Amino acid sequence: MNAVFSSRPDGARRRALAWLLACLAMAAALLALLPQARINSSVLALLPGQSLGNVPPALQSAFLQRLDRQLFWMVSPGGEDSDPAVARVWLEMLQASPLFADVEGPVDEERQKAWGAFLYSHRNGNLDAATRARLQDDGKAQAQWVTAQLYSAFSGVGAGEITHDPLMLVRGAQLALMAQGDSRLSLMKGWLGTKDPQGRSWFVLHGEVAGPPDDMAAMRKTVAALDAMAGELTRRYPDAVLLSRGAVFYGDYAARTAERDVSTLGTATILGVLALIVLTFRSLLPLGLCLLSLGVGALAGTLAVLALFGEVHVLTLATSVSIVGISADYTLYYLVERMVHGRQASPAQSLAKVRPALLLALLTAGSAYLIMTCAPFPAIRQMGVFAAAGLAASCLTVIFWHPLLCRGLPVRPVPAAILLARWLSAWRRQKLLYLGLPVGLALLCLPALLTLRVDDDIAHLQSPPAYLLDQDKAIEALTGQESTQKGFIIHGDDPQQVLQRLEAFTPALEQAKAQGILGRYRAIGLNSLARQEQDLGLIRAAAPAVVQALKAVGLGEAQVDVERMPVLPDDWLASPVSMGWRLLWLSLPGGTSGVLVPVQGVTDGAALAALADGRPGIAWVDRKGTFDQLFARYRVLLSGLLLAALGAVLIGAVLRLGWRQGLRSFVPSLLSLGGALAVLSLLGRGVSLFSLLALVLVLGIGINYTLFFGNRRGTPLTSLLAVGLAMATALLTQGMLIFSATQAISSFGIVLGSGIVIAFLLSPLAMPGRGERGKG
Amino acid sequence: MKAWIGGVLALFCANLANADTLADVQSRFAAQTVVRAHFEQTRQISGLPQPLRSAGEMIFTRDDGLLWRQTKPFPMRLLLDDSHMVQDIDGQPPQIVTAKDNPQLFQFNRLLRTLFLAERAVLEQNFDLSFEDRGEKGWRLRLVPVTSPLDKLFSGIDLDGRIYLERVVLRDRQGDLTEIVFSDHRLIPAALSDDERRLFVSP
Repeated sequence: MNAVFSSRPDGARRRALAWLLACLAMAAALLALLPQARINSSVLALLPGQSLGNVPPALQSAFLQRLDRQLFWMVSPGGEDSDPAVARVWLEMLQASPLFADVEGPVDEERQKAWGAFLYSHRNGNLDAATRARLQDDGKAQAQWVTAQLYSAFSGVGAGEITHDPLMLVRGAQLALMAQGDSRLSLMKGWLGTKDPQGRSWFVLHGEVAGPPDDMAAMRKTVAALDAMAGELTRRYPDAVLLSRGAVFYGDYAARTAERDVSTLGTATILGVLALIVLTFRSLLPLGLCLLSLGVGALAGTLAVLALFGEVHVLTLATSVSIVGISADYTLYYLVERMVHGRQASPAQSLAKVRPALLLALLTAGSAYLIMTCAPFPAIRQMGVFAAAGLAASCLTVIFWHPLLCRGLPVRPVPAAILLARWLSAWRRQKLLYLGLPVGLALLCLPALLTLRVDDDIAHLQSPPAYLLDQDKAIEALTGQESTQKGFIIHGDDPQQVLQRLEAFTPALEQAKAQGILGRYRAIGLNSLARQEQDLGLIRAAAPAVVQALKAVGLGEAQVDVERMPVLPDDWLASPVSMGWRLLWLSLPGGTSGVLVPVQGVTDGAALAALADGRPGIAWVDRKGTFDQLFARYRVLLSGLLLAALGAVLIGAVLRLGWRQGLRSFVPSLLSLGGALAVLSLLGRGVSLFSLLALVLVLGIGINYTLFFGNRRGTPLTSLLAVGLAMATALLTQGMLIFSATQAISSFGIVLGSGIVIAFLLSPLAMPGRGERGKG
Repeated sequence: MKAWIGGVLALFCANLANADTLADVQSRFAAQTVVRAHFEQTRQISGLPQPLRSAGEMIFTRDDGLLWRQTKPFPMRLLLDDSHMVQDIDGQPPQIVTAKDNPQLFQFNRLLRTLFLAERAVLEQNFDLSFEDRGEKGWRLRLVPVTSPLDKLFSGIDLDGRIYLERVVLRDRQGDLTEIVFSDHRLIPAALSDDERRLFVSP
């Protein structure tokens, strides 16, 4: 039978072979590009270039990695007990495990002594702001202050202090450290700790995750080990309470949630798609062919993005592969045609029948996605390029290969043909359907669309469980330390530049504090060498006044050491003085350095962000705020691009079909997008970036459905079957995300699911010449 | 740390004519609201050829805190209330410590200030106590700190009094000694006058 119809099998073979060579060439090119290619997974890289504040990416990721590594515990023996024994046991457990590094607890006498010794031997380089202010004007104020300390019954000034440090610079530095120090915590029995209102004692421990903080397997192991250890601790000390804080707990929880989603939803998806394909085609071949075209599409998409951008973002990869996934529609359309008409038509003839629709679908969707490459956001540009290239390659695969590969496909009549035919004829004859349904849907959607709200909260991407949030809140109440990560990053080419920039910036911070824009900030007490030199000048000028004042109270022989005592960042970091501050400083091997200035009690984030503007090397960092903002910007941008893409689809349809039919075939696209948003609104969800990404898919899918129906050479009945199959597959694969435990992902599923159902329901509107006799 | 004085001065509130127990002394605290007195302070620092002497006036109130006004050898004002600690030296911007900004420093002050307003049980948590009735010479309360950071600063604190608290001796860890002698106690009026109240205003 085949022999009769294969009039030009050689041409088809040659073209298939050429496409094979092209695919091989693409694979080879990808392999060649891959070694230099960067897979970018930093969410900050999604920002448009300027908003990074020019913080060197290496510095930024080093800081973020460090933050993600931190672990913090508070242990209470419970009740009235104030013995740190439980904390010590917890410390020993942590130190015994190879999973943790730099675990620290008690501050022993030796450390306290070393602390004082460092302050003393570096006193001339370690001036604090208050002392510096008192040293102005040749030290008149400092002389008064020293005298007052001397007279005070409660200052504990002894002969040793006056003899060795007549200017009392160490005292000034200590007071400054205490004033800037960590909130409500103080030394209790050699531990940093606090008492809560119920009288329970709490002791602080901190440490780091030893492995890379973003390795999921390591994360899982770490959290499991901590859980087991905490279990043991409470077995041994039933009254003890342990509070934990760390990014690793959130990371692990998110990973486990995602995994649960994937395993439960994934199983349902695979079984559902298998059943659907086997029931319809009585063969597994279509599944293989779908995957084949998807695979070639993904290959071409990745190659195009890598060739144009040199890197690919993980997010692009994930979303773009789903977009190229709609190329399964192409395969299904062709295979349904073969299944139904396999006996009368050769594979080539079937192809000729569907080819115009396929190419049109590709052209429309491709240009819609190419519009997205105008976006200023690298990730969206990448997505546009990936989708256009990928869809083209998928489509070509269907056209060149599938006619040769589909030979084993069983030929069957259209299943449930009568039902489908009734549905189609109703669309031709029932005004209630072809007019009523779209108008009714539009009327239903409108009120819901009017109450649609926007929700850019990144927290929906992570729905942390109550037990983590409760511990965070308890720690915040005990320590007074918020867990929000806001502040400034000050960076420079070398440590001294960073310190000078910090010093120049501090007055602005003080002013912001005075204005109430921020509550507190923590700036490290390390002076630049330039500032230390200025300070030395102050010290030298002030020394005579202080010596004079001491002489007046009978201390004649006070000697002031006015030599240089330089404090270098490395020495400072190695000394106990930097305890609790060290994490704020980071130096990369090349010298590039940065310092974090955490800020609490922010009332006006925009004003603080503006503070950094125009100052080289200073950037405002608000992790959650940045993400929320990022999401908002992408959302706005995508909305605009979607409208532009819709416009392109409309223009294309009107150019091809004229006003009447063009507008009619546009209705399903428009209503599927609007309807999907309306459903989202009815369910009480807000529009986020994720719902818009789903709309991007709905648009592409809707285009396929209308074009398959609009195909003049096609048979409406086969189109309906193909479109129905395509819808069912999409629902089973991506619509399944409705059941995700993460709100952002379930919103994606809702939009996608409702969008394609509406697109399917309305797609018969695009049938050519309603009222004409169809051939189905 | 100066807040400590507040605690000490709470003892003024007691009329201790023939008191012989600590319970008797403390039971009278609550009755008084304002105590004013003159103070003379002598601070002996080992290695210093002569002691440092200062003098001034103080006002202790149960509700508004403590005001310490040194007049000799240089003027200095120290104000301590529930949320502020303010030190003014002539011609300098006042040094202010608030409970909110610097809980660590403040916690210490509050402990000292509340020690003598609170019950014996609270005292015993922080000090070893010995109370001695010395007949003609009045009573003496000896406090030996047992908790940090008090024990880091002081080796012992003696409070002497008869009708009022008359003398406080602080022994530093490093062997230095401070003696504060109070005189000219005034309990009337029982509320702050307008002029006095103005002095309690923190900037």
